[in-house]
Amino acid sequence: MMIDKLGRAGLLAALLAGTSLALPAHADGALDIAMIGEPDTLDPMMSTKGVVSIATQHFIETLYTFDSAWNIAPLLAEDMPEIGEDGLSYKIAIREGITFHDGSTMDAQDVVASLDRWLEVATRGKLVADKVASVEATGDYEVTITMSEPYSPLLSLLAFSNSAAAIYPEEIIGESIDEPIGTGPYMVAEHVPDRYLRVVRFDDYVSRDEPSDGASGARQQIPDEIRFVPVPDANTRVEGLLSGQFDFADSLPAESYARLEGSDTAEPILQKPFGWPIFAINHKAGLLTDLPIRQAVQAALPIDDMLFAAFGDDTFFQVDGPMYPEGWAWRNEAGTESFNQNDQAKARALLEEAGYDGTPLRILTSRQYEFHYKMAEVARMALEAAGFAVQMDVVDWATLGQRRNDPALWDIYITHSPFLPEPSLTSLYDATSRLGWTNPEKEEIMKAFTTETDPAKRQEIFAQLQEQVFTDVGFIKIGAFNALTGQRQGLTGVTDTPWPFFWNSDVSE
Amino acid sequence: MARYLIKRILGMCVVIFLVLTIAFIIVRLAPGDPAALMLGPDATAEDAAALRSQLGLDRPITAQYLSFVTGALQGDLGTSIYFKQPVVSVLAGRAEPTIFLSLFSLVIALVIATPIGIYAAYRRGSLLDQGAITTAMLAASIPSFWTGLMFQRYLATDLGWFPASGYGAPDASFVERMGYLILPSIVLGIVNSALILRFTRASMLDILGEDYVRTARSKGMTERRVVLRHALKNAAIPIITVIGLTFALLVSGAVVTERVFNIPGMGNLVVSAVLRRDYPVIQGALIVVASLYVLINLLTDLLYLLVDKRVKY
Repeated sequence: MMIDKLGRAGLLAALLAGTSLALPAHADGALDIAMIGEPDTLDPMMSTKGVVSIATQHFIETLYTFDSAWNIAPLLAEDMPEIGEDGLSYKIAIREGITFHDGSTMDAQDVVASLDRWLEVATRGKLVADKVASVEATGDYEVTITMSEPYSPLLSLLAFSNSAAAIYPEEIIGESIDEPIGTGPYMVAEHVPDRYLRVVRFDDYVSRDEPSDGASGARQQIPDEIRFVPVPDANTRVEGLLSGQFDFADSLPAESYARLEGSDTAEPILQKPFGWPIFAINHKAGLLTDLPIRQAVQAALPIDDMLFAAFGDDTFFQVDGPMYPEGWAWRNEAGTESFNQNDQAKARALLEEAGYDGTPLRILTSRQYEFHYKMAEVARMALEAAGFAVQMDVVDWATLGQRRNDPALWDIYITHSPFLPEPSLTSLYDATSRLGWTNPEKEEIMKAFTTETDPAKRQEIFAQLQEQVFTDVGFIKIGAFNALTGQRQGLTGVTDTPWPFFWNSDVSE
Repeated sequence: MARYLIKRILGMCVVIFLVLTIAFIIVRLAPGDPAALMLGPDATAEDAAALRSQLGLDRPITAQYLSFVTGALQGDLGTSIYFKQPVVSVLAGRAEPTIFLSLFSLVIALVIATPIGIYAAYRRGSLLDQGAITTAMLAASIPSFWTGLMFQRYLATDLGWFPASGYGAPDASFVERMGYLILPSIVLGIVNSALILRFTRASMLDILGEDYVRTARSKGMTERRVVLRHALKNAAIPIITVIGLTFALLVSGAVVTERVFNIPGMGNLVVSAVLRRDYPVIQGALIVVASLYVLINLLTDLLYLLVDKRVKY
């Protein structure tokens, strides 16, 4: 009865307000995308956040991109580069007749200016800057990158939409880019922070001719416009998707899977697997600079229990040790016998051998990602059973982001990452990262890995690197987890990727 | 009267200055770095430091405070770190949904609470009285996020009577935007009706036992006239107080409901600003809310004058 009354009250109120209670009509040719938050910037060079990549790739493009199997494919570049015999020079032909959103034409000067800025300001650009000798225009439509030492991940970095080597018109390049002018299939029409970012079809776009394959090939510009709507609350994304408000919703809670499956309006999409939780280890200071103690942590952890506690249902995780999932070129089994040991007795013995004095092991984690915290709780019990004193430092994500930069404050912090197309795209392996993981043998492997250009050989070297992750306990991979997203029933053309794009999505259904 | 007003307004200024100072200190006591958050998970500490100095966050804290206070005195609350826009315009952009949400919720709360409160007091001890009190307790005890989630799921998603969330498409008209506020207003109205209902009932109970009510009855007045003219008018002061407080609470405290329904109002902004460590926006929002509180309190006190001729300042 109460509900009935309320319903009537609502109806009355609606009539008074003179509005229709029917669902908002879905504008033809427009896609509404529920994002987990507001893009922090519209300049993809300046952020490594997923939301920034997802939105900006629609209007800003790079020289290269990835196809559906994560192979590198040309985008603004005419073709794959001509790499010199010594692996030091990359001659890149650039497509002619490409127009920026401001009407100017793209040429080699724009590309050089953009890459220079990328090397100077972007997190991933700075990673290679010291290996780049020069970036020069060697023709109106040709750019040559000369390296001071061979660096094979270069093309992956140029292709990645995250901290992206974005190509801008030379004229707008400065310390900050306020108006994002690119060459993408869509252009920014309106941005109301925390409400929506609206992009509309760019009529002068020249698509590639190859068939669409992942982000490579033809970008068909099917929707007239796309609106990225920040919806920070996961449950609100679910309800919005189920009620037909959104055509696509990113990152949905596992609990909503059954409802999405039973829905007539929406359907679930399971990205299997999406990424991997990481226990990042402090090699710079504190308890875990001692190898036997690191090994003790690795031996004690019950990975399967941790995943189960974190994700609740094995639809959403895999107890998988290798750094890359089944089906990826980087997949190998090296070192994985140390994965998921769940052997507290062995850990205890290792601690005794190391002369562990009861110094608390500080685990820095956040409840902003509930699965991080749940994993940490299970890990704590296992570690305590092995004889560790454990100190849980549970803080909000902003605080964690700051504290982890100070090696004096933590031993382990918890994070996660999607599986990235190339191992060098994560800084975890780098001696210069905030983990500071380094040993002579590993550095030698790293050197070989980043200078070798033959893909088959690189895979072999990566196996050695993976072995190092386990034997020297560089960091600990906690299996793999799946991600749930959802889309309107009948929406086609959304590719399974952590950074979904919608230029090939059909909304006519 | 004039002296009273001057005194009150001076008092307001002191309160707001204190809030300003405390706001400045509190947001900086919280650890966390806005620059690192904006740059994303793979950014290095050096990147964050560079951005921090670009944003002026590496200046000495006293210098930051001084420029904040001198700015605030001139109505300039600084520039949002995150939006790169003046805080005043960021806040102004969020005012519409919050103000209308608060107004609608208050109207709904009043429509529910006052008649039931009056009637419950009038029929004291009856089934309706007890029912009303129990329901009010229940409504006040259930957290608004739960009510919000349930209403959203069943009334919006399943039945499709209301939009599930948001504040309308980019081209939505004012009326359409208001449509998005109906369901959240109902949720907030119900939650906030409980307190008003209890105050109305209690206040009416006191008055209905007074001598002049008996006198009015003995003069042969209709019950309707006795209750609504003689009793309610005298019971009004505590009710107005609680309505004023409820409104102030709604403007500042619709955080959870705005979050659940993804309404781009002040509450949502404050939560995001805290997570982003957007210091100027947090400070600005606190100052605006504190000012509103003080102002609404003053208005409530002035309203007493209208309602009760015996009140003099």
